[in-house]
Amino acid sequence: MIRTLFALLPPDTRSKTTTHLILTVLSAMLRAGTAVALVPLIAALFGQVPKDAWPWVALLVALTVAGWIVDWLVARIGFDLGFGLLDTGQHAVADQISRTRLTWFNAQNTATARQAIASTGPELVGLMIYLVTPLLSAILLPIAIAIALVPIAWQLGLAALAGVPILLGAYVAASRIGRAANQGMMDANSSLTERIVEFARTQHALRAARRVAPEHSLVGEALAHQHGATRRLLLMQIPGQLLFSLASQLVLIILAGTTVVLASSGKLSVPEAIALIVVIVRYLEPFTVLAELSTGVEISIGTLRRMHSVLNAPQTNSGTEEAIITNAASIRLEDVRFGYGGDDLAVLDGFDLTLQPGTTTAIVGPSGSGKSTVLALLAGLHDPGSGRILIDDIDAASLTAEARAKMVSVVFQHPYLFDGTIRENILAGNPDATDPEMKEVARLARVDSVTNRLPDGWDARVGEAGTSLSGGERQRVSIARALLKPAPLLLVDEATSALDTENEIAITAALTDDSRSRTRVIVAHRLGSIRAADRVIFLEDGRIVEDGSIDELLAADCRFAEFWRQQDAATGWRLGTTPVA
Amino acid sequence: MPKRGFQGAVLRSFGAQDHEATVTDTEMLAPGFRRIWFTSATLFDEIEPAPTAWLRFWFPDPDGKDVEHQRAYTISEADVEANTFAVDVVLHEPAGAGTTWAANAQPGMTISLTSMGSSRFELPAELPAELPAGYLLIGDSSSVAALNSIVRTIPAEIPIELYLEQHRDEDKLIPLADHPRLSIHWVPRHGEESFAAAIEARNWSNWYAWANPESASLKHIRNRLRDEFGFPKSEFHQQAYWVHGRSMGKLRSNRDIADDAADYTAETAPAESDPIPTSATDRVSAPAPTNSKNQGAWRAQAGSRLMAPLRRSLIIAGIVQGIVTLIQLAPFFLLVQLARLLLDDAPESQLWRVGWWAVGLLGLGTLLSSALMFWLHTVDARFEQSIRQRLLGKLARLPLGWFDARTSGQVKQLVQDDTLSLHYLVTHAVPDAVAAVVAPVAVLVYLFVVDWRLALLLFIPILVYVLTMSKLVVQSGSKTSHALKWAERMNSEAGGYLEGQPVVRVFGGATASTFRARLGEYITFLNEWQRPFIRQKTIMDLATRPATFLLLIVVFGTLLITTDRMNPVDLLPFLLLGTTFGARLLGIGYGLSGLRAGFLAARRIQVTLDEPELETATATATDTEAASGLVEFENVDFSYRPNVPVLQAISIRLKPGTVTALVGSSGSGKSTLAALLARFHDVDSGRIRIGGRDIRELTAEELYARVGFVFQQTQLVHGTVHDNIALAVPDATRESVENAAREAQIHERILRLPQGYETVLGPDAALSGGERQRLTIARALLADTPVLVLDEATAFADPESEYLVQQALNRLTVGRTVLVIAHRLHTITGVDQIVVLDHGRIAEVGIHEELLLTNGRYRQLWDAGGTVNPTATMTEETR
Repeated sequence: MIRTLFALLPPDTRSKTTTHLILTVLSAMLRAGTAVALVPLIAALFGQVPKDAWPWVALLVALTVAGWIVDWLVARIGFDLGFGLLDTGQHAVADQISRTRLTWFNAQNTATARQAIASTGPELVGLMIYLVTPLLSAILLPIAIAIALVPIAWQLGLAALAGVPILLGAYVAASRIGRAANQGMMDANSSLTERIVEFARTQHALRAARRVAPEHSLVGEALAHQHGATRRLLLMQIPGQLLFSLASQLVLIILAGTTVVLASSGKLSVPEAIALIVVIVRYLEPFTVLAELSTGVEISIGTLRRMHSVLNAPQTNSGTEEAIITNAASIRLEDVRFGYGGDDLAVLDGFDLTLQPGTTTAIVGPSGSGKSTVLALLAGLHDPGSGRILIDDIDAASLTAEARAKMVSVVFQHPYLFDGTIRENILAGNPDATDPEMKEVARLARVDSVTNRLPDGWDARVGEAGTSLSGGERQRVSIARALLKPAPLLLVDEATSALDTENEIAITAALTDDSRSRTRVIVAHRLGSIRAADRVIFLEDGRIVEDGSIDELLAADCRFAEFWRQQDAATGWRLGTTPVA
Repeated sequence: MPKRGFQGAVLRSFGAQDHEATVTDTEMLAPGFRRIWFTSATLFDEIEPAPTAWLRFWFPDPDGKDVEHQRAYTISEADVEANTFAVDVVLHEPAGAGTTWAANAQPGMTISLTSMGSSRFELPAELPAELPAGYLLIGDSSSVAALNSIVRTIPAEIPIELYLEQHRDEDKLIPLADHPRLSIHWVPRHGEESFAAAIEARNWSNWYAWANPESASLKHIRNRLRDEFGFPKSEFHQQAYWVHGRSMGKLRSNRDIADDAADYTAETAPAESDPIPTSATDRVSAPAPTNSKNQGAWRAQAGSRLMAPLRRSLIIAGIVQGIVTLIQLAPFFLLVQLARLLLDDAPESQLWRVGWWAVGLLGLGTLLSSALMFWLHTVDARFEQSIRQRLLGKLARLPLGWFDARTSGQVKQLVQDDTLSLHYLVTHAVPDAVAAVVAPVAVLVYLFVVDWRLALLLFIPILVYVLTMSKLVVQSGSKTSHALKWAERMNSEAGGYLEGQPVVRVFGGATASTFRARLGEYITFLNEWQRPFIRQKTIMDLATRPATFLLLIVVFGTLLITTDRMNPVDLLPFLLLGTTFGARLLGIGYGLSGLRAGFLAARRIQVTLDEPELETATATATDTEAASGLVEFENVDFSYRPNVPVLQAISIRLKPGTVTALVGSSGSGKSTLAALLARFHDVDSGRIRIGGRDIRELTAEELYARVGFVFQQTQLVHGTVHDNIALAVPDATRESVENAAREAQIHERILRLPQGYETVLGPDAALSGGERQRLTIARALLADTPVLVLDEATAFADPESEYLVQQALNRLTVGRTVLVIAHRLHTITGVDQIVVLDHGRIAEVGIHEELLLTNGRYRQLWDAGGTVNPTATMTEETR
């Protein structure tokens, strides 16, 4: 955690960090000084001449004021560092996200990354001042007091020194047990409630199947059974909650006892002994602070963990070559192997595919056959586990991320638009494009019918994530954006949800009327978009089972031909018509 | 600069920011009621206008003295983009500073104002079902602007009762905001009690009240609402907008009483100057006598009902925890005793006794708190088990529509997170809160008993803390709500950025830069918000450090001791306990915060347990048995909320074995109508009969033996493929299951699964959408109900297996009475009957060819492309 913290601090703040540390130590020493100054002070108050206490009071005042000044400086620097952390930390996470392998983003990691960006800001600002500084001084102060006690009563000083690791140990152990108990509680709770959640989730099916009553009693019984078992485990965690308070009270009794023994054996005067008891309480105070901080510590550790896991997520591989290709390229996938959850579950294995420059290829196949995976590999969104992807004989892995991105343009199934105007979103494809160029692709993609409708036309804002536009309209803007990008490879992932006619035309236009010289690949679900291809690849279970022109494959009358016929029949389907045998 | 008196000083010390506003226009909205428009270049940089938000204006003295008077006015309209806003001023006699200025306001005049400390009305951002049952708004001409802004915010379907106290005849001419369910009551003033008495005595359960009347009236209204009607504190916002009698005229539009009291620059107030003209006809009927039946029940109180059985246990636990806390403080007390003994040169045996006491108490404390925790865990286990059982039972009896109105996340929150919060409440939050309160109070009492002078001293740092804190809170004011907005915004931006990563990777540049820019703005905001507070936060921190308390104790203790006004031994308790007093006292708030989350969770659970259930009515003799596939809708009305009809006067007959399609644009009620047949909700009036029997008279068992449904969202239960298909017929043979699978075109796919029919499926089953559809169709085939409700969009859920799903549907519909929700008209051209819905009513009924010829609503839909809202879903995704 400390390493994550230091890694996040801006590089130019090293000296500030050092100053912060030195001042924190100084502050602990000053406060230890105040505590020890109590010994002569209290001794004097309980002695014959209470007035003798005044010089010591003056010293205490001086030390306290000095402590305030140092702490003031510590706070300043701490906040400065906190704001530095905020700036570099947030940007580091955002940068890292754009380099992280997309396969890393499962549901849980995505949630972690989202939190790391969205909800850690205020936390980071206070990290130094509310956590690191108090934590440091809570550890340093008892040590400083213990050391200062040695010259006064060495037995007590040594006992106090020995107490430090014991109490810190108890603190760490208690919070570890606490964390485990928490986790145990969560796990127990979800194991107890998962069945109810499941029961709620499937209510429609259960009711329709008239299974609610029996399921209800079954789930109830299982719950009752589980209850006893998990609760007993939880009770074992109770000692953790008592550990720290028990330890600190024990240390108090032992230290006070030592003082009394020293006093009654004449090694300490009575006023001194009383003063030392007060100092012992001072010595224990920081540990209480520590215990109070523990919630904050847990939260901050959580924050740092999240940032750590994002910052250490696997990155995409990229090379150093800066090749730029502007005309249609040939693409070759050689012996490619790829899986999402490690190599055991490879989606593609020993996959070979060559695409000739300037051709349009449709990838067709049942869901789960690996169509989108092939497209993502071509787009450079995933790196092959093994094997190569060659673009005009250049190994894609040797390219820099920027050069690799320049090779492809993509129409995504879920088009992400950013909060800007329609014009800006289309120009994201090529910021250098001229206005006529932009309008031409927009016409092909049927965006002009959208801009004609909107009062602000090209300058209409699409809203956050494009939500001011309908799904179809967003799709069309994204087609225009892809068409505008001067990449030698255009990839289209056709939406699975039903497209309206206008969108189907836009997709077909993207494949046929686009005047740029490039190689095109479409993951197609519908006959309309397949027709635009001059080659069809039929995928099944990550393998190419059929490959050829539409006519060839129809003539072969095999998997694709069946798919073609079914699609054709599906288009004209009417409910209630006689079932086909 | 003119003097602004005490108020001005306070505001300045809180860092109130001055804004300059220029009058742009004025208009008399009603006699004596003037709207003034302003423009201000800086105001909206600081604040965001919200309903009921108001501004403090600094008006020049009407007599030309060198003082300014502060008056507050509600922002009645605002345009942030244009930097303009308006306020409404009641021009009353005699005129005060505000009215004098407002009466003479001309375009071009300027005024300075601040926005410190305003109220803000917000709708609860929860489920629509958890909105209040209605809003009771109370005020008069001076708060009309605020109440209008509330009326405009409240959703159309929620009723509003607006009570306005009338002071002049012209008051009734003041324009009020429109709302479809608003009823207005003007109440002429006859002293301070007349207004409260005029509020209707009725059951106000689950209503929310907002009152901005005159101060004395408010007192009576408060009593009536709280004591007679039972309004809980959390559901009743109250703030007097002016004080009667203390210069009726001039303070009329002034906001709060504190301001008034401080306003010593005011001219001498005329005594109450009005018998208000009233007409007898306006008089409202006499107040209803106090009546316990008017005591309502509020959802806000549901939590305590849930916790009621635990009340006794929790009180006992609180007492035990209190004792444990005291025992934990005992060592400090013993140390003081020890010191006394040492000073008295007591024999060693006495010292040992103190030692044994310390050890004994330590042991006792540990034992007690272990026992307490053990016991609380046991109590909690029993309680939670019963809660879970009750929830389970409830879930089984709620109308299915309840699940559709909630996301799976909300249901999960209720069942999983809320029960966990309850656990924390019982086992941790309650003891923590008790400890947090008992410890500082005990310390305080002890120290006061020892020496009250020194004990009082300990409040100095606390005072510094509280003052600095309140200053910080006030200064932070609008920024705090900005911060919440920013957090929400960054959350959705981050979500978008993560989701858009593929796009960002391919297109880079502009697609990523907006997020980056936003992140930069967010960081800048946090900087600008928090940096100015560094000083205050450091002061607060230093003031409450033990070192500061030690300094105070030592300096003043020494002073008292050296002047013989205190026994040195009495200093010890302060040195031992006084230094951490600040931290303990400030810990109270933190210790109590744990309770809140728990009580909110308890409330949500109880509200769910209170939801109405589906009930089976007893059969009436009028029913006649008919063919089991016959479905009749008879004059059915339905609405989700009272007075917002979704379906009206629906009568349809579905003959056995025929297919009926429901057609209409989205929002026409077709999905709701289909859901009624499956009894997701109960009809408001009319009835639905299957086979001649009202579906409300059928048990769930009987009903779902007659009706099946296949919707877009599939629900697979945790179990094998076989179990999933045989859900309704648990004892089905493998052969019949396989037959159903074959007919649903899924048999071959099942054989390709790792364990075939024995493969265990969960919510994340490795099946495509179309495959899951076919599995549920197989289930419906096996269940073999005579009536079937179907969503046509099912056929298009998965482009790769559209054909197979369609074939499966063809098999399923054979020989059944089918009611289908149609999205694409061309798929239903062959059905037996088409019902065209428009705004919840039947527009046309017929077959395709007929309807095309009649040139009605169906023709319109057909010509519009035939595809109506293809993505509409009937059931929520319940994963």
